Amino acid sequence: MMVVSSTTAGQEAAASGRNAGGNAGDAAFGVLARLAGWSILLVMAGIIIVLVSGGWQAFSTFGPGFITSKAWNPITHNFGAATSIFGTLVTTAVALVFAVPFAFGVAFWLVEMAPPALARVIEMAVQLLAAVPSIIFGMWGFFIVVPFMAHYVEPVATRYLGHVPGIGLLFRGAPYGTGLLTGGLILAIMVTPFICSVMADVFVSIPAVLKESAFGLGETRWEVMRKVVLPWSRQAVMGGIMLGTGRALGETMAVTFVIGNSNRLGWSLFAPGNTIASLIALEFPESSAGSLKLSALLALGAILMVISFITLACSRMFLQRGIKN
Amino acid sequence: MNTVLMGNRPAQAQSAPAIAIRNLDFWYGENHALRGISLDFPTRQVTGMIGPSGCGKSTLLRILNRMYDLYPGQRAMGEVLFDGRNILSPGIDVNVLRSRIGMVFQKPTPFPMSIYDNIAFGVRLHERLSRAEMDQRVENVLRRVALWGEVKDRLNASAAALSGGQQQRLCIARTIATRPEIILLDEPTSALDPISTARIEELLDELKQEFSIAIVTHNLQQAARCADRVAFFYMGELVEVDTADKMFTAPHEKRTQDYITGRFG
Repeated sequence: MMVVSSTTAGQEAAASGRNAGGNAGDAAFGVLARLAGWSILLVMAGIIIVLVSGGWQAFSTFGPGFITSKAWNPITHNFGAATSIFGTLVTTAVALVFAVPFAFGVAFWLVEMAPPALARVIEMAVQLLAAVPSIIFGMWGFFIVVPFMAHYVEPVATRYLGHVPGIGLLFRGAPYGTGLLTGGLILAIMVTPFICSVMADVFVSIPAVLKESAFGLGETRWEVMRKVVLPWSRQAVMGGIMLGTGRALGETMAVTFVIGNSNRLGWSLFAPGNTIASLIALEFPESSAGSLKLSALLALGAILMVISFITLACSRMFLQRGIKN
Repeated sequence: MNTVLMGNRPAQAQSAPAIAIRNLDFWYGENHALRGISLDFPTRQVTGMIGPSGCGKSTLLRILNRMYDLYPGQRAMGEVLFDGRNILSPGIDVNVLRSRIGMVFQKPTPFPMSIYDNIAFGVRLHERLSRAEMDQRVENVLRRVALWGEVKDRLNASAAALSGGQQQRLCIARTIATRPEIILLDEPTSALDPISTARIEELLDELKQEFSIAIVTHNLQQAARCADRVAFFYMGELVEVDTADKMFTAPHEKRTQDYITGRFG
């Protein structure tokens, strides 16, 4: 009897002790979690404030013309964003033109055709590709891809596509190797894993019976993919493409290595150019505090933020709609 | 291209089975799911397949149109004779086979497109029809499944907007639109309410004038109502097959009797 009651008392004491400690710990944990949550907003606000206030000098000096001006002259203090915005959009577009079909092919093969053991290996490789630091892509691009483009791809493209009416304009010009096309290609390789893994995920998530009933009518794999799987997963696939677009827009190091870094705006994809991110990376170290140039760079940063934000918002919208369906 | 499978439908004598299965074995990887099945599906009759979950009845259905091909590790051995050829042999064009042996699934699976296109889609794969002929085909099959009156004013609306029962009838319409010889139904009413179920059962009765039908069902009353012949499966084996009347009144096997009287299953 004694033994029993003493154990009970001991247990109660232990239990209440743990509760007291648990309550304090819980409260502390709650405060920390809340702080962590709010700090994200704080960081975001901080970035926006710095970009907008830092870029204000440039915005107020050049007005809306800052966005449409092609100038970038540190000596005459004349800065404009048009060339780098153009380069950013063109390299991203080139990247998507190559990455989307490529990612689709890989995802389709992984989900529908590859033997499971091999599919796991390739899937892992795709993930690894996403983890390669961009500086590695930059160096590899500079030493391998740029000479390859200059010696083989660009001369051949000029020869066969340069005379095609319309798009021929894109493929004329001196084959430097460095330029918008090469930048876009490197970006394509870098964003493919992101697009591919989203696509593979949605292709896997399609109800098996839906695919089977399409096969049950005697359709081939490609018909099932095009008529049933793609319409069903269209929204989510668009979301994945937007996700890749966001990556391509802001990618800095790899592009800086291969784009040629010249403030030019023209039709040729072979011509050197720049992007917002590569321009900032190159010019930032040479801008003194308080200078108009620094302000112009921060203003460029603000513009890039806005473009990326819109892309991300689109991506989320598509992905969410895709999940609802 | 396989000339035998592409050929016109031969005038089949009532006695020749639409499909004849001989000594069929099936494996899911290491799992021996069907053992030594031999079974005939008579032409223009409804053959019901019953048995407890996991007995292999759905597996058998999925062999008949080679659906198992989609999944590595699943394999079949034996003979499934259809139109004088073993459909398990590697030379068979499965896309043509599947257009001749249609399948309807447990849950309605409308494609993400309009009601009209759900039907026209499968037809376009195998035949070239003019717009007018296609319209005619669509109307014809929708009438046959008693859906025309309900959807004729919204053929271009998404099929996803239809009710479950309507969707399932659309799936049946889609299946018969490619003019198969055999229709496989895998528990086609298990996701439907009693009224929709009754309409589908009536439909089966009408469809067997033209098609040979194989239906898997968990619902013994449904098997008794719809099927001419019933096959009872248990643990991967075919226990017994007979006319529906005999199966439900005087089965030979004790296991059949135990199952239909509800002692297990």
